[in-house]
Amino acid sequence: MNRRSLSAWVWGVIVSLLLAHNAYLLVSERLVPDTDILALLPVQERDPVLQQAVTQVVASTQQRLIVLVGADDWAQASRAADAYRAVLIPHAELLRLDERANQWQKDLMLFRQHRLILLSPGDEIALRREPESYWIDSALSKLYSPFGAKPAAWQDDPFGLFNAWMQARVGETPVRPRAGRLFVGDGRRQYVVMPFTLAAPAFSLSAQDALMPLLERARQAARAATPQAEILAAGVILYAAAAGAQAQREVSIIGAGSMLGIAALIWLTFRSLKPILWIMLSIGVGCLGALSLCWLLFERIHLLTLVFGASLIGGAQDYGSYFLCNRLTAEGQSLDSRQLLRRLLPALVLALVTTVVGYLALALTPFPGLRQMAVFSALGLIFAWLTVVFWFPALVGSVVMKSGPAVRWLSGSSWRWPSLRGPRPILWAMGLLAVAVFGLSRLGVRDDIRLLQNAPRDLLDDQLKLSRLLAVPAPAQFYLLRGPTAEDLLQREEALTERLDALVEKEIISGYLAMSNWVPSLRTQAARHSLIEKKLLNENGALVTLARRIGADDQWVGSTRDRLRASAAPLTPSEFLETSAGESARHLWLGQVDGGYASIVALRGVGEANLPLLRRAGSGLDGAQWVDTVEEISSVLGRYRKYMGWVIVLSYFAVYVLLYSRYGRAAWRVLAPIALASVATLAWLGLAGQGLQLFHVLALMLLLGVGVDYGIFFQDHPGRSDPVGWLAVALSALSTLLSFGLLSLSKTPALQAFGLTILIGTIAVCLIVPCFGYENLRKVDEAGRGVP
Amino acid sequence: MKAGFLACALALAAAALLGAAPLARIQAILARPKVLCGRFDQSKQLVGLKKPVTSNGRFCVVAEKGVLWRSLQPFPATVKLTRDQIIQMQGERVTSRLDAEREPAVQMIHSVVFALLAGDLAPLEKLFVIEGDVHENSWSVTLKAREPGLAKVLGGIALEGGVFVKGITISEASGDLTKIVFSAIQTGEGAMSADEAALF
Repeated sequence: MNRRSLSAWVWGVIVSLLLAHNAYLLVSERLVPDTDILALLPVQERDPVLQQAVTQVVASTQQRLIVLVGADDWAQASRAADAYRAVLIPHAELLRLDERANQWQKDLMLFRQHRLILLSPGDEIALRREPESYWIDSALSKLYSPFGAKPAAWQDDPFGLFNAWMQARVGETPVRPRAGRLFVGDGRRQYVVMPFTLAAPAFSLSAQDALMPLLERARQAARAATPQAEILAAGVILYAAAAGAQAQREVSIIGAGSMLGIAALIWLTFRSLKPILWIMLSIGVGCLGALSLCWLLFERIHLLTLVFGASLIGGAQDYGSYFLCNRLTAEGQSLDSRQLLRRLLPALVLALVTTVVGYLALALTPFPGLRQMAVFSALGLIFAWLTVVFWFPALVGSVVMKSGPAVRWLSGSSWRWPSLRGPRPILWAMGLLAVAVFGLSRLGVRDDIRLLQNAPRDLLDDQLKLSRLLAVPAPAQFYLLRGPTAEDLLQREEALTERLDALVEKEIISGYLAMSNWVPSLRTQAARHSLIEKKLLNENGALVTLARRIGADDQWVGSTRDRLRASAAPLTPSEFLETSAGESARHLWLGQVDGGYASIVALRGVGEANLPLLRRAGSGLDGAQWVDTVEEISSVLGRYRKYMGWVIVLSYFAVYVLLYSRYGRAAWRVLAPIALASVATLAWLGLAGQGLQLFHVLALMLLLGVGVDYGIFFQDHPGRSDPVGWLAVALSALSTLLSFGLLSLSKTPALQAFGLTILIGTIAVCLIVPCFGYENLRKVDEAGRGVP
Repeated sequence: MKAGFLACALALAAAALLGAAPLARIQAILARPKVLCGRFDQSKQLVGLKKPVTSNGRFCVVAEKGVLWRSLQPFPATVKLTRDQIIQMQGERVTSRLDAEREPAVQMIHSVVFALLAGDLAPLEKLFVIEGDVHENSWSVTLKAREPGLAKVLGGIALEGGVFVKGITISEASGDLTKIVFSAIQTGEGAMSADEAALF
């Protein structure tokens, strides 16, 4: 066995291992792609506390599914909701209904023990400002009123302070218990609110597959009970399922489309089945290798990686078809396959390295999803390439390739291509340049998180309406607060909420959720206690006067005062977090992190126009930080758009140096078409009114990698007499166009932009490359064939 | 055998009749005017307070509309309950307003208060266990909320009356006891004073 067949054997063992690993992943059912869109978002740029805050906010909603069933009246809404619920209740293994609302009695017991320090903001101001008579009137009206269920007996809360605090807390949500259900209304319709908690992870495909049909059945049941019922549902799992289904569709369209297209192309070129099998083999090994190693590296694979990876098929076939194209030529036929490989190796190495470098540039971004896509693609290419190098010589052997009619047509067409000689092409070039400059001048930028999102319209509409009805706090904007101790942190929260109270009054926001609403800082607890002592409880306070008014004696004053004072024990965060109200506020409290304490203050009723105002409201306060994750991601997208722009410029230099080692002075001929094609693509984007975004720039980076292959193939076969370069480029370009053209049909805006940029760029490269390819051998051509 | 069966059936029927009787008979005794107004005297016995706290005022119950409850002495305050809202006022100043659109409890409170003052107990059976006695033209019932949460807040309610409701006793879980006695009841269009009508 010689050394070469040994390497083929070794490669065979490696491929077998890959096959076994893939089969294992498939059989053990661990090969379930990840559908979490957030996995695409950057992580490394944040400090750990902020990261934990964002994670906690996300986690608090991830496992929840909220369904609202509404109708014109309560009876109809209840009927529809009961029908809806009846379908879901038997499936406790998937989800269960939360009935936390019924536990408030228990909470009340705890709060009642601390009622002297729990004050609504309005009452705290009134205690400072209002005269004694205000409090006497308030107490008497409560005493004489025969109505109204109160959280405490009159003597335990004669001035209604605790009652008002409870009202303020209840006011944090518009959801109300009603006849054993939860209710919310908007004045026009009445809704039953059903909060569900998922038992299985929201991003588990099997949970999605089981839940989606069930929800549809529940929806139908509700409609059957009340035909006009309105059903609103929101939850991370709905988005995940929609994204998952769409990505699966796209993977199969891109995958199958590319495969069929490439098979057809190869058939047209070689008129033989064998080349199709060989090239499919190299692509197949590429995919297996990418999947296996990616799994080992990342321990999971994102579904969008597979969508993007499907477009890899177009790139992976390049090496195989380049090799086979070379077998077509007279020169290739005189050599055996091993000798041919040795001759082609430098070009193949260069082509692989440049493309892999292009892909790996994607890995320089802080987006984990992009990194995975880049690594997946690079690995796929490397494995396909290695398959060509190790196996093709043995497989192809000395088979003589015959060319099909497509080859003859293509060879003919290369003669008709315009050259950059004489005045006419230069005029053309000037004209195109003018159009390009015009296009570039119109090119704007767009760095928007929506590029990463592709949720269906109706899901977004449901979510919007539901958020409005339930007055859900903004998920993407909040304040992050830090302090060395829990007490400091609560004091800082209070400094912030004091400013927010003013904004609520001006109706800039409708409210806020903060831990300190429930658990004031000890300083505030003490201040309130002494305020109540001074105004209400002590010898000159309202309590004494009140007693006189209702004919009560000093003994009553004493015992009432003692009871109230006994309920002034300090309330601590940990005590509060034990309650069911604390459970629902838990996501606000990060507790002890990073050597200090941190918490979140969430806002309700945030309008986009008011964001700058809210940012300012948090500035200048110790330990307070305004967080806007939407804006943060947009700014990361923008920063990396610029950064990657520079990386591209540097890459051109790097690739030039690489090429110089092989082509010397002619190296610029490889790069110039790509640079021009990139400019043309940018101009087209400008003309089409598309804002430049990171994904266009990343695609231009990849275009460099792909385009260099064409330049290399062409430079190695520059003469018009030699159709191999032309053929290899055409085959490669057509398959790239196919793959990325299909990718540009993706509904994920980022992938679509990526695919479209490559599509246009590749077309432009193909049109331009031949203009730069033949000059140094022109004389030979003229001598051999005469000028066409 | 046949006789035994008959006796058994009769006993069952009698038991059913007895169980259903008080409510049906109360309904038969009650007058149901469109408008009913009168004076109330309220006496609240608070735990730890030697003397009860007393107050009085006027109330109106208007079919299809709602209830107006006006404390006059010693502390003037007004509560108006309708299906759609509950408004509390001190003099002209509105101190609180609850809308049924947002607070479903409004409808519940309205229907309970309306039913209690009108003596129309049938709608309350969903919420309360009702037990009662009827003697000729007078009757008395006790109501216990079915839901433990509500029972805790409301306590026990006792009602007595004849053609109209004569009095209500509310005993709260804290031990406080509220007694309300109604008198000078008028019915019909003229029952409401002009300023009361203006408040509706």
